[in-house]
Amino acid sequence: MGKQDEGLRSSRLVFYKEDIERIEKVLGQFLKSANAKCGLLVDKDGHLVTKQGESSSYDMDTISALVAGSFAATKQMAKLLGEDEFSVMFHQGKKDNIQLSLVGDRTILAIIFDERTTLGMVRLYAGQVSSKLSTLFDEIATRKVEAEAISKEFGQAAKSKLDDVFGS
Amino acid sequence: MVQINFARREVNCKIVFYGPGLSGKTTNLELIHKKLPDQSRGTLTSIATEQDRTLFFDFMPIDIGSVAGMRTKLFLYTVPGQVYYNSTRKLVLQGADGICFVADSDPNRMQDNLDSFRNLEENLKEYGTDIRRIPLVLQYNKRDLPGAMSIAEMNQKMNPQGVPTVEAVAVKGEGVMQTLKALAKLVIDRLNEEYAPGKTGSQLVASPVAPRPTPAPVPAPVPIPAPKPPAPMPPQPVPTPKPIFNVPPPMPQPVPKPPPPMPVPSPRPQPPPPMPRPMPPRPAPKDDEGEGGGGGKWVAIILVILALAGGAALYFLAGPGKELLNKK
Repeated sequence: MGKQDEGLRSSRLVFYKEDIERIEKVLGQFLKSANAKCGLLVDKDGHLVTKQGESSSYDMDTISALVAGSFAATKQMAKLLGEDEFSVMFHQGKKDNIQLSLVGDRTILAIIFDERTTLGMVRLYAGQVSSKLSTLFDEIATRKVEAEAISKEFGQAAKSKLDDVFGS
Repeated sequence: MVQINFARREVNCKIVFYGPGLSGKTTNLELIHKKLPDQSRGTLTSIATEQDRTLFFDFMPIDIGSVAGMRTKLFLYTVPGQVYYNSTRKLVLQGADGICFVADSDPNRMQDNLDSFRNLEENLKEYGTDIRRIPLVLQYNKRDLPGAMSIAEMNQKMNPQGVPTVEAVAVKGEGVMQTLKALAKLVIDRLNEEYAPGKTGSQLVASPVAPRPTPAPVPAPVPIPAPKPPAPMPPQPVPTPKPIFNVPPPMPQPVPKPPPPMPVPSPRPQPPPPMPRPMPPRPAPKDDEGEGGGGGKWVAIILVILALAGGAALYFLAGPGKELLNKK
């Protein structure tokens, strides 16, 4: 395996079931304590990692892409102001609000909440949950795992699906 | 980069439409959105100026469906083509798995194509990606223009690496799906090549949020426990490795067992024998050197009494006593 391949592998985002379960547990506890509506964990490339809470009415893919985009834009703004990055962002709406906070190096925690709680409560618990998740990610990152690979047929199956969707 | 989420059984790929301003990137997405069946297409979101020029990006998720047990999605992004939006363009490019470069076939715009392509190469380089290693498809758009440049000429100028090309008229939807399909297949090939069971080796690092460069096995800075002897500033001659500093220590306390010679310069002189205070000047007596203050007091009283008695005797002898003696 070449060096470049190794680099690619270590940079690839792979999430295993066991890890996600641990993350979801932490998120679930947080939602209960903060009385928030929904929590999403999004990677910086805009992919949803996992979610907890009342989220059925949202378009999660688009929200994740926009969360990552706005965080990236804010980071540029921070740099212009001489900061490394802004670790917390908050948007207030009439009913729902969203707070974004950076977790670890590569993920963003988006918390959607309404009048059932307050910004202070969300901030307080979000700080705690961010550091918990951060520690969890460190553990996950350094853990060697038996690769759960995608199946051998994936490539061929995907190509025929593409033909179905886009026309052959 | 491709996200593989075994918990959600998902494979997510990011595809970016790149190219000079007004070459037809957003049009490509709009046409794809229009042509796809409802169950496959997500919402097309545009962050655009009031004049409908892309300000940040357009975004559309496509759900390919379940592939070998994994729900596979393509996330399509466009970048703003105008030169002065390079910072946002670069942001969108982050983590791209495949790129569709939309070139304008108008000969007057060839320089813009070339500039944009060079810009793509530079921006990818900043993310540590070599343009020759990323899945890339060139779409020669606006083929219906009257003076459109010939394919041979475009290839010669733009495609020395020989990547797949597709001719298109995006506004009419021609070539749009073919481009996306060609690119998606390249992305899948790459994914398969790098992630097929046989080729990955059996071990890999689960890397959700780990800092990209190196996993750095050190568990990161946690509060303060610091099991190593941090050796503050006072030399602390105590040879035992046990750090005494687990709790915020007020001062170098007199260590229970006195270590060999001279421990610490401790400000307090160590509780010496029971009664120190030799100094405190007692206000009263002067001549009380003798120990046992009580005894000295009595001596003084006796002396005073004797002195008074002596004085009285002298007075008596000098006055009335003398007269009495003389009478006798």
